[in-house]
Amino acid sequence: MKSDSSTNAAYYEKVEADVFAAMQKPRVTYWLALLVSLSCFGIGLACWGWQIYSGMHVSGKNNPVGWYMYITDFVFWVGIAHSGTLISAILFLFRAKFRKAFNRSAEAMTVIAVMTAGLFPLIHLGRVWYFYWLMPYPNQRLLWVNFKSPLVWDVFAVSTYFTVSAVFFYVGLLPDLAIARRRITGIRQWAYRLLSLGWRGTAKQWSHYEKLYGFLAAFATPLVISVHSVVSWDFAMSVIPGWHTTIFAPYFVAGAIFSGCAMVITLVVPMRKILGIEEYITVDHFESLAKLLLFTSMIVGYAYILEYAMAFYGGNVFETAHFMFRMLGDFRKPYWLMCFCNVLLPLTLFVRKLRRSISYLFVLSFFVNVGMWLERFVIIVTSLAHDFDPYSWGNPNFSWIAIGITVGSFGMFFTFFLVFVKVLPVLSVTELKEERANETIHI
Amino acid sequence: MKQFTFDDQEPFLAKLRELLAAGRPAQRIEVATPFPVYEALHLLKTPVSPLKYFTFAGALTGFCAGFALTIYAGLSWPMIHGGKPVVSLPPFMIIAFELTILLGAVVSLLGFLLLARLPAPKGILTPVEADGKFAIFVEES
Repeated sequence: MKSDSSTNAAYYEKVEADVFAAMQKPRVTYWLALLVSLSCFGIGLACWGWQIYSGMHVSGKNNPVGWYMYITDFVFWVGIAHSGTLISAILFLFRAKFRKAFNRSAEAMTVIAVMTAGLFPLIHLGRVWYFYWLMPYPNQRLLWVNFKSPLVWDVFAVSTYFTVSAVFFYVGLLPDLAIARRRITGIRQWAYRLLSLGWRGTAKQWSHYEKLYGFLAAFATPLVISVHSVVSWDFAMSVIPGWHTTIFAPYFVAGAIFSGCAMVITLVVPMRKILGIEEYITVDHFESLAKLLLFTSMIVGYAYILEYAMAFYGGNVFETAHFMFRMLGDFRKPYWLMCFCNVLLPLTLFVRKLRRSISYLFVLSFFVNVGMWLERFVIIVTSLAHDFDPYSWGNPNFSWIAIGITVGSFGMFFTFFLVFVKVLPVLSVTELKEERANETIHI
Repeated sequence: MKQFTFDDQEPFLAKLRELLAAGRPAQRIEVATPFPVYEALHLLKTPVSPLKYFTFAGALTGFCAGFALTIYAGLSWPMIHGGKPVVSLPPFMIIAFELTILLGAVVSLLGFLLLARLPAPKGILTPVEADGKFAIFVEES
């Protein structure tokens, strides 16, 4: 096909204009969303402050349920982070075209979700001012942290994940920041000039850049699998019934990608509307994401069934009793709600019409977010509440503080995301231009 | 220095081919594009990026550092945890794996900045020439 250069040049200008128009002065809806998010964030901070002041008894944790909502939140947010890397790195390696619609917002989501997740082990600690004891250095008696503990693996996994996804996000942004320095005027221009590092886009720079992007994607892919595997080993390395199982790593990774895809839908549906970029994030793109959601939902459903199969086939009396408790005991309501949200409801995505309905996907994504939070809650709380010895059984206490901190984490996540959509381009302009050029190139 | 700017890659590539056909040496030509144009890289015989050596060095350092840190820490105060040997390679492998990725990625980034001559103070302080265009800069002989 012969290329039509005037159309191409016009398209490049239009993409830039559309994406950067989204970064102009916000509308009322944006301010409202920011106000709600900031209020929730404020509630969370106030609750955390109260917990630090008055002690850990306000968190609802007790003996035996020493891991409660904060660890649930931690696993939930680390899980949310995963689809960002999936969409940006794994789909990049597979050359899946639909990633271009979501990769920037998913990468931002990853960085923000890991930041949110990283707070929870500290909130959970109690004496948060001693958080640095987690770091690998010897204490005054020259004793090091225990490198055989999954909790120390977590420190390495989550901090590596944060660093690498932040690097990946920034590197992907670099050519777009160079566009921002040209299009945005005033005092803000200096920020983009500084952040774009004087990028020119010479042949040599591009040749190094392409290599770097490929290497980072290749590093991020095994990393994303390792991070949620390590998080799952926080549980699986113990001997508690319901936790001590080898399927935890793949089961957690699939669940993480599932919840992350749902969160991408939750964020991108209103974002494309508010910013007026519907043209670039189309129904076809959403349909591809819905297929991924359906696929990971089926893996999660298979894992739920397999857990029961292993417990009953294995013949271990504690495992069997535990899984009966999970299904029929004190936490049966969250359990069955979780099954409905994560396994049954996503099956509707087999219907093409529903897969292509953006409003349906938006509503479904809410259910999946709730379902995946409940999944972590069910796994963590039911196992601790009901271990080997009936003498030590017990349920956690209801806590408004823990709920407030959980709401606060959503507030923090959405606040940072809203700031992101106004200060950085939400679509990869460079990749959109490149895609167009490749489509129309003269061969 | 002569400068040619274009809004699209086709005329840009045509001019580049013309300049090279007219006998301009590729070393004296520099191009800047808003996205990677592989044909331009090929025409200018841009050498393959040596970034992989940085990546490999970073990853190898991380891998060795992970094992060195965990084995040294174990041996410096040999304490048995959970009945496992003081030097337990399977759990240490996880630390080594994470550090392989961490240092591999960070050293790759630093290597990229070094090779791509970034940050470039001139490009930060003054407007970049032909920014966002397909540009050819020819050094006059």
